[in-house]
Order: sequence, then structure tokens, then C-alpha cells
Amino acid sequence: MGLTNLEKIIALQKKTSHIRNLCILAHVDHGKTTLADCLVASNGIISSRLAGKLRYLDSREDEQIRGITMKSSAISLHYSTGGNEYLINLIDSPGHVDFSSEVSTAVRLCDGAIVVVDAVEGVCPQTQVVLRQAWLENIRPVLVINKIDRLIVELKLTSQETYTHLQKLLEQVNAVTGTLFTSKVLEERAEKDAEAQSSCTENGSVDQVYDWSAGLEETDDSDLYFSPDRGNVVFASAIDGWGFSIHQFAEMYSQKMGISSSVLLKTLWGDFYLNAKAKKIMKGAQSKGKKPLFVQLVLDNIWSMYDAVVTRRDKEKVEKMVTSLGLQVMSRDLRHSDPKVLLSAICSQWLPVSQAVLSMVCEKLPSPAEISAERVEKLMSVGARRFDSLPEQTQELKKAFLDCSADETAPVIVFVSKMFAVDSKALPQNKQRPLTQEEIAQRRELARQRHAERQAANQSAESPGSADAGGASTPAAPASGAVTDALCARTEALSVRTAVDEDNKEHFVAFARVYSGVVRKGQKVFVLGPKYDPSLALRALPEGCSVADVLPSIPHMACCTVDNLYLLMGRELDELDEVPSGNVLGIGGMEEFILKSATISTSPACPPFTPLNFEATPIVRVAVEPKHPSEMPKLVRGMRLLNQADPCAEVLIQETGEHVLVTAGEVHLQRCLDDLRERFAKIEISASEPIIPFRETVIRPPKVDMVNEDMGKQQKVAVIHQVKEEQMKYPEGVQVDSTGLVTLTTPNKMATVGVRAIPLPEEVTRFLEDNVELIRTMEQFSLFAREGKTQDINQKILENIQDFKVKLERNLQGRKWRGAVERIWAFGPRRCGPNILLNSVEGYHRPSVWHCLEREAEIRDFDNSIASGFQLATLSGPMCEEPLMGVCFSVETWDMKLSAALAQQDSIDKDSQAAEHNNDDQIESSDPHETNASSASSNRSRSRAEASGSSVDCYGPFSGQLIAAMKETCRYAFQAKPQRLMAAMYTCEIMATAEVLGRVYAVLSKREGRVLQEEMKEGTDMFIIKAVLPVAESFGFADEIRKRTSGLASPQLVFSHWEVISSDPFWVPTTEEEYLHFGEKADSSNQALKYMNAVRRRKGLYVEEKIVEHAEKQRTLSKNK
Amino acid sequence: MSIFTPTNQIRLTNVAVVRMKKGGKRFEIACYKNKVMSWRSGAEKDLDEVLQTNTVFVNVSKGQVAKKDDLSSAFGTDDLTEICRQILAKGELQVSDKERQSQLEQMFRDIATIVAEKCVNPETKRPYTVSLIERAMKDIHFSVKANKSTKQQALEVIKQLKESIQIQRAHMRLRFVLPAKDGKRLKEKLRTLIKTVESEEFDDQLEMVCLIDPGCFRDIDELIRCETKGKGTLEVLSLKDVEEGDEKLE
Repeated sequence: MGLTNLEKIIALQKKTSHIRNLCILAHVDHGKTTLADCLVASNGIISSRLAGKLRYLDSREDEQIRGITMKSSAISLHYSTGGNEYLINLIDSPGHVDFSSEVSTAVRLCDGAIVVVDAVEGVCPQTQVVLRQAWLENIRPVLVINKIDRLIVELKLTSQETYTHLQKLLEQVNAVTGTLFTSKVLEERAEKDAEAQSSCTENGSVDQVYDWSAGLEETDDSDLYFSPDRGNVVFASAIDGWGFSIHQFAEMYSQKMGISSSVLLKTLWGDFYLNAKAKKIMKGAQSKGKKPLFVQLVLDNIWSMYDAVVTRRDKEKVEKMVTSLGLQVMSRDLRHSDPKVLLSAICSQWLPVSQAVLSMVCEKLPSPAEISAERVEKLMSVGARRFDSLPEQTQELKKAFLDCSADETAPVIVFVSKMFAVDSKALPQNKQRPLTQEEIAQRRELARQRHAERQAANQSAESPGSADAGGASTPAAPASGAVTDALCARTEALSVRTAVDEDNKEHFVAFARVYSGVVRKGQKVFVLGPKYDPSLALRALPEGCSVADVLPSIPHMACCTVDNLYLLMGRELDELDEVPSGNVLGIGGMEEFILKSATISTSPACPPFTPLNFEATPIVRVAVEPKHPSEMPKLVRGMRLLNQADPCAEVLIQETGEHVLVTAGEVHLQRCLDDLRERFAKIEISASEPIIPFRETVIRPPKVDMVNEDMGKQQKVAVIHQVKEEQMKYPEGVQVDSTGLVTLTTPNKMATVGVRAIPLPEEVTRFLEDNVELIRTMEQFSLFAREGKTQDINQKILENIQDFKVKLERNLQGRKWRGAVERIWAFGPRRCGPNILLNSVEGYHRPSVWHCLEREAEIRDFDNSIASGFQLATLSGPMCEEPLMGVCFSVETWDMKLSAALAQQDSIDKDSQAAEHNNDDQIESSDPHETNASSASSNRSRSRAEASGSSVDCYGPFSGQLIAAMKETCRYAFQAKPQRLMAAMYTCEIMATAEVLGRVYAVLSKREGRVLQEEMKEGTDMFIIKAVLPVAESFGFADEIRKRTSGLASPQLVFSHWEVISSDPFWVPTTEEEYLHFGEKADSSNQALKYMNAVRRRKGLYVEEKIVEHAEKQRTLSKNK
Repeated sequence: MSIFTPTNQIRLTNVAVVRMKKGGKRFEIACYKNKVMSWRSGAEKDLDEVLQTNTVFVNVSKGQVAKKDDLSSAFGTDDLTEICRQILAKGELQVSDKERQSQLEQMFRDIATIVAEKCVNPETKRPYTVSLIERAMKDIHFSVKANKSTKQQALEVIKQLKESIQIQRAHMRLRFVLPAKDGKRLKEKLRTLIKTVESEEFDDQLEMVCLIDPGCFRDIDELIRCETKGKGTLEVLSLKDVEEGDEKLE
């Protein structure tokens, strides 16, 4: 078949019933791209000799190097059979798990799928996944059993064995489809049951007879399965270029043997044999030990062919076969030393795979016009919304879908499933095209002129040297120069057109399909984002408006003009003027409007299509940084482009300033990084483990020790270094009593603060965390209130605050917390965190944080300093400078010995306590090392005090001292209690099959994960495991779990909560039992200590570690001594 | 290896000497290298891992042991271990290679952490990560000085970094309220110190919200306090004007 030209394809695009949109799906390395190659070769785009080796659709360099497909790419093919001409839009998809998002984008645009299965490997994890994807998208699959040659050449199976092998394989595939089917039926039934249940309870009568049949018996599922006699299975070897369906052989033999082809078609696959005497086909080949028909008529022929060509290399026999089959084999192939060449030369003529596959596709797969109503409804109903709940106008569009007409009147509906980046050079506009005659002539003329100029210039350059009568020659020189310049400019102008575009950034082309109407170049359309709601828009827009009108802006909707339309031809694009419905196409110039996917329509009533269901969610997180810090803007731009180009990658900037890239897996990550480096950012980048946050907290003293012995009864073994440690922890001036009350005096001996740290109950912490926003608004109000300004407080917010207070009271039960809620001084850090400052000072009745509710103020002076000190202390804890969580600091004593002058000053201050105690500002002021420390302090009372000159001493301003003292006191109070680290936890949902369950558990427990529950998904053999896993251990988790389970388990990670790590980071063995267990050094791994030291090391804090472990084992001799 | 030939010069290997002058005498003890700092910081708790021997010397390299009388007169005890502890705690020593290296590394990290905390990328108003700052510091060949405080060095480094990357101190957001007549007078003076004015209201008094460089705070504070004689108020709204929360790039 010759090269198909563009006109033909354009003509075919208009015949909707002769279009087939299909994708090739399979497990990695099962031969998708090779099969695609064979199909491409049938159209003469590549040589059939190269088919299977070229991998035409793998256009990326890394795809070719790695040998795996990484993106889905489409190509339009032409196929004619029996006078009918078909246009086949073929989409090749990747098989690797990491790129299953690409599969989703491909599947969405198709009506049918070719599922390829390796005859040797059988059903693999990804095969199941793609079958499920096809199922979920309601597209019809056909099966290609590939690599049958491996059974012959590698496994050396006999034809009989092959038959049974293939039978088993088919069963496996059908089993997968079966489970999909049963799970759906069971789900439906469960829904029905639930409905019935609810109706039953309403009626008050319970069904006496329970219907045990799960509904499976009633539903017919026979048309779902693959079976050769149905004609939806092709046996093939894409690498050798052959493939057949039973259909072909049935035709062939019906003439030869005189048995009708319909009978043969039914019996060629199955337990039938040919009774040679009776010339009859009989049942029960297996029981009688006869060769089944399939073996005898089909497989044996192929086997003998391989035997002759590959194994024995019997020239004569080959020739005989070739002539008997009526084939023409070139003598060049016959002489070739590699038997594979000859084999593919013969086979590709005898049983061309493209013929077999394409004819099956055309017969068995639906055309775009045959789209099922069920699928349309599924596409149109977003999320949980039922189709019936959509606006009427929208429901009417269903008809447009079903008609799939290319009429002028039909509304245009296009779905864009992904955006892909194209080099500007690859765009057809910028392509090098052969020059026209005039252009050549023009160029020739230019060149000639230039030549003439040069000669003239040379002459004039020579002449001034000799001629002193330069009057004639000197004006000539600049003149000629000017002409040259003009010429250059003209030549440049010619080349500039292409050059400009090359400099431009990447172009994005939308990968899309027309579901209805005709898309034209220059047409104005609506671009509807995934979150667009047609009912809102319909209300906002006037009746019967069109895109051309000036419209009010509606969320998630944009208007734009279709710039360019392309025919996707693998790595090439061809420009088109219009595309009728039912076709796959590329749309250029949409990058401004579409992020990843979108719906394009001329009707505002069109709903956005349901989002693509991705089998793999992005879970591998890395922090990306440029090699040179100055290239940050380039990186950000590159990441934006990457986000647009990749349906599955996510990029975000975190509060810490990290640029985080989230990908589906390690291979995907690698590709994203390569893309960033070479295409989008074009800079050197480095990827590293992201920073993991921790929290610090205190707990109640544990009752049992590390070996689960009761603490109270045991005698502590006195260890000298521990006594020393106790002393070291608290410097002079800090008094700690046995109950954990810490008192500290400011350096100028003016004030003394006593603070106790108390762990907050877990529920309270969580409750505070959930209500951060509310606390923040409350703070704002009280800030305004203190300034004497009145602000209208929203009644609803007021109620919310009241409600919050009541709930907090309910949570803080018990003797210890009596009246605590009324005494809350502040929340922290940042005035809205999950820590509480409690006012327990005798005789100081300070209004609590709730005073914005009642509004009256009687605050002691320097009150702010105490609160700021608390804010600072909670912002960074003593363990590793991470924020605190769930700690209550109760101020028990606060004595001031202020001079009279200062006291007087205070009274002035009191009425107008301007609150400038932003916690951050004291970070600076509290630190004596800070060069501009004193400058940063902004407390007004301080400035007053300073102005009066009474409290200026060598220790700096008094308020600063108090802040520092308070901060230190809090830190020591914290340290006086058993400290613990809190780790961020992921909840992890793992889908796994039963056989790999054990390995999933192994990986989880190795990474400190904890399984919460495990249940079996009804109707399948999949287990769903729910576990929690520390974020710190999640790096590389996805990869490890996939490796260990051969891809049969796929995890999903979502941040859930903070959890206290039970081990004490400062733990050393103290009791005898512990010594027995852990030894004196206790060097068995301490999880909390490990985390803490890692953070401290990263931050450059002091880590209590020996520089050299063993003093004697240092190599100190230099070589020559 | 050549054949071992005896030499009359004995080299001290793996020995760090800690010296102390007390009572007019010099005392030395022989310790292992890279261990004394760990002992002082409390990470090493085993004395035997620090001391080569618990003898107190007058000169370690010559092997001259201190006399008992001298020891008891200087230290008031003749318990050698106790004397060793005292010398270890207070004596002077040459810092060993690894000790110095780890100290400098730690300071380098500390400086980078401080810089990262204080600064933002002016374009995005987001902080840089510590590792990026570290790399930038290496690029400008910044060397840590062990005898200067890390904060001081961090402030210096910020100035130097400004030449190579887009970086600035995170701005402080201030709000001040000035009486009307002072407001007019001070406005021009303040203008030079303020980076950007976010809002300005001038009716019976001047109210301004603005961003400033934290270095100018002292001047502004001074100015307002002195010029308005305590009538103007100054308030810090936020110390670091940074973007909060995660942002999805789209």
C-alpha cells in the first residue's frame, strides 16, 4: 500500500461511520509500539522492513534509549477492505505504571482498545490495570496475543502444548474481565440493597426472604469475553510481522475442504477435531486424544514454517512452501544469512499482522457514531452529580453526542485530554518546505547582486590607495556599503521568519477529540475548565447567546479562537482547516486557556467532561533546585510548563520556599527532570529529598520503662554521667522543683517568672488545630479592641467563637483544668497555634483571650512581653528548633520589683496599651547577639521606659529582657517534662492482590508503618490495606513497594495528622532491666533520636555526637613517617 | 614496605596535648586526638576514651612526668584522675583537624539557616531554602570565621549574596499613627527610610502602613519617638513579610 496522502485522510474524516478511534494498551514490553509500527508500516510511512525495530511512535530520545514508551501519541492511518475505506486514529500508549496517566488520556479519546498480551508472560499487573481502565471508560476491547514466536523459538513448545497454553491465557484474561464485571454487578446490588434497606425501614416491614443470588445469574455477560470464535482475538507476532484471526483461516479452509466457513468459524477454536474418514468435524478432541482443529489446521502450518525457516534452514522446503502459498519472496531475502529476515519476508506476505488487526478493528470496534448513551451520560455527569440533575439544555446535548453529526448546525463539542509540548521547529508552519520558483529566482538575484557589490567594494578599496583624486571614489564606497546593508537586511528578513519562531518557547498542542460538530480554524469557542458548572453559566448568560457576543465573565470559562488544527501523525503534525466530529486532532494556541484538560464547545450548556480517572496518583515528592541560585525564575517558568505538559505531575511551592515536584514514580520523575533540564527550564537542576517537618511536645511521665516494667518499683542505677547531665541541662539562675515548675529571674533582677509545662489532651490539640482560622480572626478583633477602635464583629463569627469556647471547655475536663478556659492568655505560635499560655498567677486577673466577647481591659504592664516570650518559645522548641504542639504553659508566679518611677510610667501606659507584640519582632530583640537587636524592639512601653531613663541598664531594655527570660523559662519548663517528637503521618491506602500481601506488610513495617485495617474488595481478589506511615520514611516508599510486589500493589499517600513518636529522644537506660536489654550505651536505634539529630544537623545546631567513635582506631600516621 | 629500621626519634602519634599553667608550673596531659572537644561538650562520657594515660606530665613529648609535690601544691590533691579532669576542663589545647572541620561546617550551616530565615526572594516573597543558600555561599567563596558570631556573619553574607542572587531581607510591616502637624513634618524624613507605602490616611492624624528594611527600624523608631515627643505610635504588624501557605504552580 502506498503512502496515504493528506487529501485522502481529510476526505475520510468526514465519513463518521468509517472512522475508528482506538488505542493500544498493554503491560510494559508486551509489544504495543512494535504492533503500532507494523500498522504504521502498512500505510507506507515507514518501511515494513524496519517495522518493529524503528519504534516510530517513540519520538523522544529517552524513549528510544530506554526502550519504553513514555507518552501517548497518535497517528492517523488509512485502511481499505472490500471496497470500504476506513480512517483509523491509532493512539499508542505507555505500559509502565508511572505513565498510566498517559493511558488515561488516551483511553478517554477512543472508542475501542487493542489489548496486547504477551503469549509467554500472560496477564501482568498492568494488563489488569488497562483492562480496568478500558472498562471504566466503557470502551470495547479486542485482544491481540502477541509474541507467539517466542513459544516456538524460545520455549520450544509443540503446537499441541501451545494450544493449551493459549487456552489458559485466554482464561486468565477473561477472568480479569469477569472480576470487573462481577464487582460492578455486586456494587450495583449493594446500592440496590441499601435503597431497599432504607425503604424497608420506612415501611417498617422487613423482607422475610433474603435473595441470596447476587444478581450475577441474571445479568448476561457473555459478550464481554474474548474468544477467537467471536473474532475479537488475534494471534500475532508483531516482530516477525505476522498475525491472524480464526476468521482468515476459516475462509481459507472452507474452500479447500468444502466445509462451510460458518461451521469452521465455530469449530476452529475449541475441543473439536477433524475426522478424516468421515470428513466431519467431531466434538471431544481431548478425550479421544486427537489433535484439535486449531492445532491441525492453524498452528501446525506455522510450526512447520518456523521449523523449515528458522530451525532447520531447509532451503528446498522453504521454496516449496513459498510457491504453494503463492508468495513472491525476493532473492535478496532468500540469501540473507539471518533466517529472521526471510521469515518476516514470508510471513508478512502470508499473514500480514496489519491486515488481521485492522480488519478485526474495523469489524468489531464501534465507530464514533455508535457511542452508547450510557457512556455519554457517564462523560457528561461530573463527580457525584446524576445525569438527570443537569440543566435541561445540557441534557439536550446528549442527542448531539449520539448523533455525532458533522453538520454546520450541530454544536461543537471537543474534549482536550492533555497538552503536549512540541518543538516550534516541528510545527508545520515552521517546517522547511521546498522553495517555490520565484523564491529561488529571488535568492539567485540577491546572491548575484551581493557578488557584484563585493567586487565593486574590492575595487574601491584598492583604488583609494592609489588615487588621490578621491572625489569620485570616496562617495562611491559608502554608497556601495549602503546597498550591501540593504541587501543583507533583505536576506535576513527572509530567514528571520523562521528564526523568530525558533527562539520562541515551547508550543503546546492540545490532544483532543471532536465529539460533535465541526471545528474550524479561526472559530470562536468556549473553553470550559474541569470545574465549570453549566447551570451557573446558563443562569448568567442570556438565552441563545453565542461566543461572538460580549459576555460576562463566568468562573472556569474562557472564550478563545481556534488558532491551528493539526492532524497528528506520530512525531509529525499536518495542518488542517477543519475537523469534523469523531476525529482525534491537535489544537494549537490553547496554552493560555487550558491547563491540563478542558472541554471546548460552542454551547455554554455543555458540561465539562468527567475528570480522567488516573490509576496512579502522584506520590513521589522531591524538592527541585537550580544548580545556580540565580536561575530561580527560569526554574519556576520551567515548572509551570512542565505542569501543563504532564497530566500527572504536580508542582508546588511550599512555605519553606521549596519547589516540590510530585510525580507518579521514579521513572516518571526521571522523565520530568530530564524535561525540565532540556526543554522547559534549560538549566541544570538538582533534586533532593524534601524537608520533613516535625513538632515538639511533652507528655505525661510514662508509667513503664522501655522493657515494659513498672517504673515506680525499680531502683535506678545511679550513673555518674547522668547526674552530670542533669546539672548541665540547667544553667545557673534556673530553679527547677520536682513538679516541673521552673523559675527564672531576668538579668537585672527585676522580675521573676515561674512557668510549668503541661501536656494538652490530644483532642484539645486537634481541636485547636482545626480552628486556627477562627483563633486568628479572634486575635484580630481583640487587637482592634485594644487600640480602642471598634469594629463590627460579624454576629456569626461571634457565635462561632462562643461555640468554640464551649467546645474547648468540654474537652478540657478534670480537676487540673478547672476554669482553665477562662484563664487562657494566648495561643501560640503565631498567636493561633495549638499551644496555650495559661494565666495562673495569684492575684492577677487578666482578661482572657475571650475578652473580645465582653470587652473590658485591666492588664498589667509588660503583659505583652510575657506573651511574646511564649510565642517565641512555641515557635521553636529546644529539641530541634521545630514548632511546639499540644503544650500548655501555665504561668504560676510573676513578681516584679520595679522602681517607683517605672511604676508611675506604667500607670500612664496602662490606659493605652498599644499592642505591638508581634511575636516575630521579638525574635530579633530578644537575642543579645543580634547586631540590630535593640533597634528591632518596638515595644512602646519599653520606649517609654527608656525615655524616662530609669530602666536603661547594661542588659538592654527591660521588656526585651523579660521576653528573653520568659522564653528561656518556657524552654526549661518544657525540658523538665518528658519530651517527645511528633512526626507528620501519611495515611496510606494500598491496593494489593492476596499473594503479595505479605511483602506489603514487610515494607510497611520496615518503614515504621502501622496497618490500621485490611479488607477485601468484594468480587475481586484485591485487598485494600489502610496504614499510617511517617512522612520521614516515605521517601522511596512507593518505589520500594512496587519493586517488592512486582507492581501488584499500588499505594496512595495523603497527609493525615501529627503523631507522637513514642520513643524518648534523650533516653538512656537507667534501670537494671534496661541495662540487661540494651546495654550501657543503648546504641540500638532510637527512632526519635535519629530524626532529631538529622534535623539538628541540617540546621547546623549542635549535635551530641562524638567526632570520633573509637579513640584508638584513628589513623594518624602519615605515609612517609 | 621497606624493612623496619629502628629510629632514635619517637613520634607521638594520635596524641593531643592539653596544657595548663597552674601555680607557676606548666602541666600537660596526653589525650587522644579529636576527643577533647567531645569531652568538653559532654558527648564523650568515658574518660578512658579521652586520656591516653592518667599520668600528668611536665612535658609530654619528652616524657617528663610532673612531680607529686608540684601537683599537690598546685591542685591541692594528688588524685591524678581528678587533676586530669581539671586540666581537661580548663587547659588549653590545639584543636584537631576533624574537630575544627566539624565546627566550621556546623557554623556554615548555622549561618545559612539564619540567612534563609531572614531573607526572601523579592520576586516571589518566598524564602529560599537552606541548601540553596549554602550553595550560593559556596559560589561566592564565603569562608567561615570561627571567632565571629554566626549572626554577625550571616548579616555580612546577606550583603555579599545580593550581588549574585535575587535576595533581600524580609521586609517588616509597620504601622504608625502621627499627630497631624508632626505628620507633615516627618513624612519627608520617613519617606527616605520606607521601602513601600501600603496605605496612607491623613485626616486629623497621619496613619500609614508601610514596608521597611529591618535595618532601618531603629532610625524610624528613634525619629518618631524623639520628634513627636511620645505622641506618635509605632507598631510592628509583621516582622517578616512573606507569603504563607503552599502555592500550586499553574
